[in-house]
Amino acid sequence: MTAMMSAQKIADELAETPPSSAVSLQMSVDNYLDVIRGVVDLFGNRRQMEIIYVTATISSDAIRRVLEALDIDSSRVYFVDCISHIMMGATSVQQDDRTTLVESPTMLENLMLKVEYLIRRSQSKDKLVVLDSINSLAIHNNNWILSEFLHILVSALRSKEAYTVILTVEEHSTPELNNMVNLVCDHGIRAGKEAE
Amino acid sequence: MPTKTGERDRCATGVEGLDTILYGGIPRSNTVLLTGSCGTGKTSLALEFLIHGAQKGENSLFVSVTEDSEKLLANIIPYKFFDRGLIKSGRLVFIDLPAMYERLGLTKAELSMEEIDLLVSALVSLAGELGTKRMVIDSVTSVCYKFKTSEKIRDFILKLGKALSDMNCTSILVGELPAGSSSYSSFGVEEAIADGIIVMANMERRGDLLRTLQVIKMRGTMHSRAKYVLDLTPMGVLLVPLLKGGSTG
Repeated sequence: MTAMMSAQKIADELAETPPSSAVSLQMSVDNYLDVIRGVVDLFGNRRQMEIIYVTATISSDAIRRVLEALDIDSSRVYFVDCISHIMMGATSVQQDDRTTLVESPTMLENLMLKVEYLIRRSQSKDKLVVLDSINSLAIHNNNWILSEFLHILVSALRSKEAYTVILTVEEHSTPELNNMVNLVCDHGIRAGKEAE
Repeated sequence: MPTKTGERDRCATGVEGLDTILYGGIPRSNTVLLTGSCGTGKTSLALEFLIHGAQKGENSLFVSVTEDSEKLLANIIPYKFFDRGLIKSGRLVFIDLPAMYERLGLTKAELSMEEIDLLVSALVSLAGELGTKRMVIDSVTSVCYKFKTSEKIRDFILKLGKALSDMNCTSILVGELPAGSSSYSSFGVEEAIADGIIVMANMERRGDLLRTLQVIKMRGTMHSRAKYVLDLTPMGVLLVPLLKGGSTG
């Protein structure tokens, strides 16, 4: 059995990075829950950060249920949901001021605009933006536009002193995607099967 | 008025992205044509320009031509920074041009040169009385429908722009364009006279409809000529660069 990084270890590694950092977090599909706990709860919540969770993999409603099941406080978590709208009602979406829908994961500019909106609306000094995941966005966008998007997003977040964590699923990743993420990130955390 | 460095004084729109594009804002006293097809956010942007001005203590005037101003206010995006007290205090004033037409007896379908002078004079007097430093006419296209000829349209915009500029008032003339139009104005005259042109559009990309903004010209300042994508939010108009994705087109 391959050892994977624990939630606490992930949070500890994130805590070692300075503010405004962009971190690439490579995980396995098998330790998704540990990653969520490590990033959202043990890192974000413990530091009382406002968390903007950009989901392009599963709906914000599903993530909410995951957080609930893990007994993680989601009161400081705001969602930019890029997937629920294109599922055409296949999933229920909680319509509230903590969930913002982007019509399609191809509308990367709108994704940036929604993140910008939430950051402006935020009362908190400390902000964490989680991008879940680059692999899902790569299904809908070519590498050129994705690379440009990452560069602009990460630069903008850095200037606003927000932490950025970009999730990559190692089983679904490619060298091109990894290079793209590494190019814009200051730190890399390998939390997947190849972690130990 | 130029600053000590020789740069013209700026009228910051308060829309952060647009002020960045314009290197600080619209050069004060410029007349800007804000043009685009329906649903692109022209009125929202123009209103935000006025609200931010009023908040900074600059008297601001919105001249509504096509829509009753009460209805306009009811439909306005619930801007978090909008305070109705600005209207009560007189910092932000809305007037309906059709009511002014009636008062001035300008009820004919086509106005003569003398009547256009009367209209310009009435608008400038009102702006003067109110001490207006920011003005929006929404839309100038609707006003121009009463002029019929290019000469009259040119005359109206030139006279109005000059008078407002002399009062150090920065103005935005909202222009309406049919969807997919390749020109910047309905009558082909407005664009040549205005000091600046900002085009708002709906851009389709792989089936997605994006709202875009591009500054085509702005006298008195350097500016970006790139296209930006915008969103109308309760925090105001937000802008990000349009992603090119390696496209050569």
